Amino acid sequence: MLEIPAQIWQKTKTSYIWRSLFRHGYPDSRKNQSLAVFTNVFLHLHPVKVRRHALAIPYTWCMGGLSFFLFLILTLTGTLLMFYYHPSVDGVYNAYGDIKDLETVVVFGQLLRNMHRWAAHGMVITVFLHMIRVFYTGSYKPPREFNWVIGTLLFFFTILLSYTGYLLPWDQLAFWAVTVGYEIARASPFIGDEFAFVLFGGYQLGPNALLRWYVLHVVGLPLTVGFLIAIHFWRIRKDGGITGPL
Amino acid sequence: MTAPRGPQPFPGQEKRLRLLAFVRQDSVVRVDKRVEDTAMVWPHLLVIEFIAAMLWSIGLFAISAAFNAPLQDHANPDCTPNPSKAPWYLLNLQELLLHMDKGLAGVVVPTIWLVFMAAIPYIDRSREGVGIWFTSRNGLRITIFAAFYATLLTFSLILVDAFLKAHGYIEFASDHFPGGKQLLPNYLIPIAVMLGLSFLLVVIVKRLYGANTREWNIAVFTGFISVYLVLTIVGTSFRGPGMDLFAPWAVPATHQCFEPRT
Repeated sequence: MLEIPAQIWQKTKTSYIWRSLFRHGYPDSRKNQSLAVFTNVFLHLHPVKVRRHALAIPYTWCMGGLSFFLFLILTLTGTLLMFYYHPSVDGVYNAYGDIKDLETVVVFGQLLRNMHRWAAHGMVITVFLHMIRVFYTGSYKPPREFNWVIGTLLFFFTILLSYTGYLLPWDQLAFWAVTVGYEIARASPFIGDEFAFVLFGGYQLGPNALLRWYVLHVVGLPLTVGFLIAIHFWRIRKDGGITGPL
Repeated sequence: MTAPRGPQPFPGQEKRLRLLAFVRQDSVVRVDKRVEDTAMVWPHLLVIEFIAAMLWSIGLFAISAAFNAPLQDHANPDCTPNPSKAPWYLLNLQELLLHMDKGLAGVVVPTIWLVFMAAIPYIDRSREGVGIWFTSRNGLRITIFAAFYATLLTFSLILVDAFLKAHGYIEFASDHFPGGKQLLPNYLIPIAVMLGLSFLLVVIVKRLYGANTREWNIAVFTGFISVYLVLTIVGTSFRGPGMDLFAPWAVPATHQCFEPRT
């Protein structure tokens, strides 16, 4: 009875197409487990072997990995949200109306928006906790100095990403929360007005600010963060993985 | 006859070795490590990553199903909610704004804070205690001390500021201080307090705990984190209309449309 599926499975595994996709057998031997990691583009960020203590959750809290995981979720849900969103303050199709539609018209729109919102808050927390873990375990020490610098930049850009997203619903909460930021930007020493003008596209919060923050939120900042994450991960590998007692 | 796969060595060079990478000893997991110290990434690490990702996905679904993201009325520039607050992760800065000049609190202090954070590995260059929580028991003691120090002082300063303002400090400063309320209360006093208390913390941990470079960095970092958390909590839960102080359970509801007095 089970012979037919077993034969099909065997045929599939030895077929030309299958072997062009997977260059190793089932990862149940050391050799195939190694090959599974370093011949796979998604897994090759990992080494083939890690030190045992790197698996200890009380040590890493998983916070770096979870920050990246939330970044991926945010990219996915954010892209889906972009299908329903017009960065415009009035007119027939406007930002606020689109959010209302997400809540009432779009199937699973409310859930989608909720996931994006809560994952954004979550990412601020996980990045912060990751930073705390790295600091208190002394993981910024040589040769990882510069990776710590990139980490602080990533913390800064995470906050910026979250804040630029906060404006997009264009409701009272968004508008006045960002007004606080606008007032701060204008109070910057020496270049306050110019800085605020560049950042908000004008001397008050309006359609230009929404458009600028939208572009920053969906293109500029994610690209920057993605670029920094790539360097961050690359350097972790080059510097010997997760830190541990010498 | 089938040829063997892969690149074939040239005749006479069958044992040629290739240099694949140049590896510094301190930067890579050592080759002579004992086998029992290591684990295969597949399956041991990937299983953890997979479970963590699943748990967080489920958690995120659950939270998103239970709680809706807030959405208020359409933005209206003529209608100011009182208080208008930034999102919680920036309320620390907004809280700081209440105690000093806007540019100082919102731009200069966070910039210096970030630069100091980034500079930590260049200040503390020792390799002591890598991979060990708090480096040592002394490090843990210093962490706890610095957390208490910064938390208590920050709360006290917020209360002192509220007390002074309630008793006409701003009016008094405007009339009697050199430079009015701008120079001393908005710039020099806050700068002196921030720098002074940070230096005092370093001096105390050096005296009390014989702190080395790593340890006084722990003290300063812990202090910063504690201040950051206290400011965030106060800004989020203790501030009501007019950004006045309230007990967290007695904060009045936000006035949704505040008519500015003309």
